[in-house]
Amino acid sequence: MAERIGVYVCECGPNIKDAMDLDEVVTFVQGLENVVLTKAFGLLCAQEGQELIGKDIKEHDLTRVVIAACSPKEHEKTFRQCLEKAGLNPFLLQIANIREQCAWVVKDKSLATDKAKAIIHAAVRRVAYHEPLEVKEIACQPHALVVGAGMAGISAALTLAQKNRKVYLVEKLPCIGGKVACYEDVFPSLECASCILDPILDEVLHNEHIEILTLTEVQEVLGFYGNFLVKVTKKARFVDTETCIGCGACLETCPVTVKNEYNEGLDERKAIYIPYAGALPNVAAIDKKHCLRWQGEACSACREACPFGSITYEDTDQVRQLRVGAIVLATGFDLFDPARAPQYGYGKVEDVYTSLEFERLVNSTGPTQGKIVLRNGQVPEKIALVHCVGSRSGKFHEYCSTVCCMYLLKFAHQVTRQLSGVSILGFYSDLCLPGKEAQGFFNKISQEGNIQWLHMKEPDSIEITQADGKTLIRFTDVHGSPREVTSDMVVLAPAMEGARDAGAMAQIFDISQGAGEGFFAEENSQIAPVSTAIEGIFIAGCAQGPKDIQSSVAQGQAAAGRILSRLVPGEKLALEPVTAEVDEDLCCGCKLCVGLCSYKAITCDNLKNNVAINKVLCRGCGTCAAACPSGAIKAHHFTDTEVSEEIRGLLRQG
Amino acid sequence: MKGFEPKIIGFLCNWCSYEGADAAGRARKAYPANLRVLRVMCSGRVDPQFILEAFKEGADGVMILGCHPGDCHYKEGNLQTLKRYYVLKRVLSTLGIEEDRLRLDWISAGEGDKFVQVVSEMTERMRQLGPLPR
Ligand SMILES: Cc1cc2nc3c(=O)[nH]c(=O)nc-3n(C[C@H](O)[C@H](O)[C@H](O)COP(=O)(O)OP(=O)(O)OC[C@H]3O[C@@H](n4cnc5c(N)ncnc54)[C@H](O)[C@@H]3O)c2cc1C
Ligand code: FES
Repeated sequence: MAERIGVYVCECGPNIKDAMDLDEVVTFVQGLENVVLTKAFGLLCAQEGQELIGKDIKEHDLTRVVIAACSPKEHEKTFRQCLEKAGLNPFLLQIANIREQCAWVVKDKSLATDKAKAIIHAAVRRVAYHEPLEVKEIACQPHALVVGAGMAGISAALTLAQKNRKVYLVEKLPCIGGKVACYEDVFPSLECASCILDPILDEVLHNEHIEILTLTEVQEVLGFYGNFLVKVTKKARFVDTETCIGCGACLETCPVTVKNEYNEGLDERKAIYIPYAGALPNVAAIDKKHCLRWQGEACSACREACPFGSITYEDTDQVRQLRVGAIVLATGFDLFDPARAPQYGYGKVEDVYTSLEFERLVNSTGPTQGKIVLRNGQVPEKIALVHCVGSRSGKFHEYCSTVCCMYLLKFAHQVTRQLSGVSILGFYSDLCLPGKEAQGFFNKISQEGNIQWLHMKEPDSIEITQADGKTLIRFTDVHGSPREVTSDMVVLAPAMEGARDAGAMAQIFDISQGAGEGFFAEENSQIAPVSTAIEGIFIAGCAQGPKDIQSSVAQGQAAAGRILSRLVPGEKLALEPVTAEVDEDLCCGCKLCVGLCSYKAITCDNLKNNVAINKVLCRGCGTCAAACPSGAIKAHHFTDTEVSEEIRGLLRQG
Repeated sequence: MKGFEPKIIGFLCNWCSYEGADAAGRARKAYPANLRVLRVMCSGRVDPQFILEAFKEGADGVMILGCHPGDCHYKEGNLQTLKRYYVLKRVLSTLGIEEDRLRLDWISAGEGDKFVQVVSEMTERMRQLGPLPR
């Protein structure tokens, strides 16, 4: 191999020059194979240094360049550009790090000289085998994926939706709006929830840049920032969304009745259903698990009843591949299951409810049309509101769920508004009322109705049981005295946790979660609260941690802003040139490498019985090449030959 | 064995350990000149063949330094390295090469001090073991 290698030794002012015998180094290098030119220079990274290299490349027909200087982390890019300007492929360069890893750490001049010689020798031997590599560019995907259509996801989607950019809004339920769509009123304004939400939902539903995918879940994510490939499955709805107007004719004839999970199981729905009155999009859906047709019966009651011919039993689940540049995860929260803490009597004592159940109870589209009644239909005279269920205790969650004090106050207001003369018992150990509105809200609501505050010693110094048809509440008060009261209804404020399937999502998107609580981990809780460790994947809303609507919206918009600032339509994305490649003839199809690839870049062609590496997905770690038993995988820029030559160069000095 | 100075090859991953070594340099922390560094993108690239070759070519000791588990720039390359490391140790002992002549460690970009310590320990150990008989 007759390469023409130019070697440049940087003096780096006194940094390298004084640490070793540069004359000896230069003399040594001049004697190496393929080296046609060796120069020591004051400061190579300076303009004059770069110009010198460029000039030499042309004048001396150099085919390879070695720069013995500082770490490649400092100036590899600089010198690659220098080669490129002179018409040489930038990868025909090797940096010999004789500053950080030699001059600065070896105090003995003669040892430093020897070590520098070895490092340069290795670079010279290696560079002779370098191959030109090409940096390919692909168009950056300006589109975005938002997972979860609650307040946070919707805010992100609306901020992102612009000309030349499409937003896929993926929601696993048949309707959008998240938890807030199930509320009657919202704190602190006490405005009606649908008054705030409906115009926003309408905007999302009619925004031409947003494609809403309901009943849809993410299966797999490949790729990286600017170029994600996301596989989603859209479950069959069996109702045509274009023609169904949500008239509900089908619901009446359906013979199957099941518990309605959209009303927290407090009433029943049919196998064809609309989650709750006012759910958007206002389109029915068939629940395949309960519909008789999928139990082998020939029922077609809904199809017969539908005046618009919208029932489509032949629907199938659709798998779609979405290409997006960035992703916002806004999968929200679920509540801690209070049955895990038997002391609260949930599931055993009849009139103990969770806060989300109470939201439905008090909601005009809910199971009782908004009437606050006990399970036996009677109106309660006493209602207990229990704070911090599963929050702020060593047993379950140490953190405060942030919004419970506020929504329990909202409940107190709703109860007082509806039931005059009702007495409210507030069981708390501390109140959390930060910010500019909460304390005022507390003051206002406290004066409004008949609320008796019962101060407990610890957040969980309470036990709720059923005795003689009454709900008995025993607790330890703040002075340590045991006390006892009865109540007709109890509403618990269970801790907020990350969404039930957040763990599965974290795996799919390769991001981390906090231990035990299921919230996604942010890149930095202070200065990067909506980004994750994976570039291009953002988190927003209660998926990141407990918070109210205001903060959820702020995070959704923040995540969108982060994306907008970088993911500009028309932008190009440079692909990693240092990738691995398979020699089809050598590959024996053992597939050992397939499972090793963290990026799922390796696929197997079973017909040809060999594997191939996707150049766009490969990041160039080289793990597959190291594992290939037949040596069929070439790790570009770190080929077996290049590494072997480097080993020899480092060891066979002079 | 007095006066023997071992040759040590270190395979350092680009993202953490090579950075860690640079950090030691920036802080002007002296360490034995015996180490010769070979940069790879990920410790996962270190083919067992490379290690055998290094011993064949005259190395008295070989080090593989990668990101801490969980921190690999390529997610799990270093876990692959860890698995191979155990196999390699057994292979080496059947070849009559003392296990201590191969060392795997995790060095993060900020751990310049740890890098210096690991290199110093390795050098000292190789001095004790003496040249690899060939
Ligand atoms: C009882 C109660 C009352 C409250 N009242 C108020 C109030 O009055 N005022 C106020 O400011 N805040 C209130 N909050 C807080 C408020 O509910 C949250 O701030 C808000 O819901 C957060 O919105 P989000 O979009 O982050 O999550 P969510 O509302 O939980 O929405 C998440 C969405 O993502 C979907 N999703 C989940 N997982 C997936 C998946 N894997 N794939 C696709 N989609 C998925 C869900 O179906 C849901 O639609 C209350 C909270 C509770 C518990
Ligand atoms: S990048 Fe450091 S071990 Fe993989």
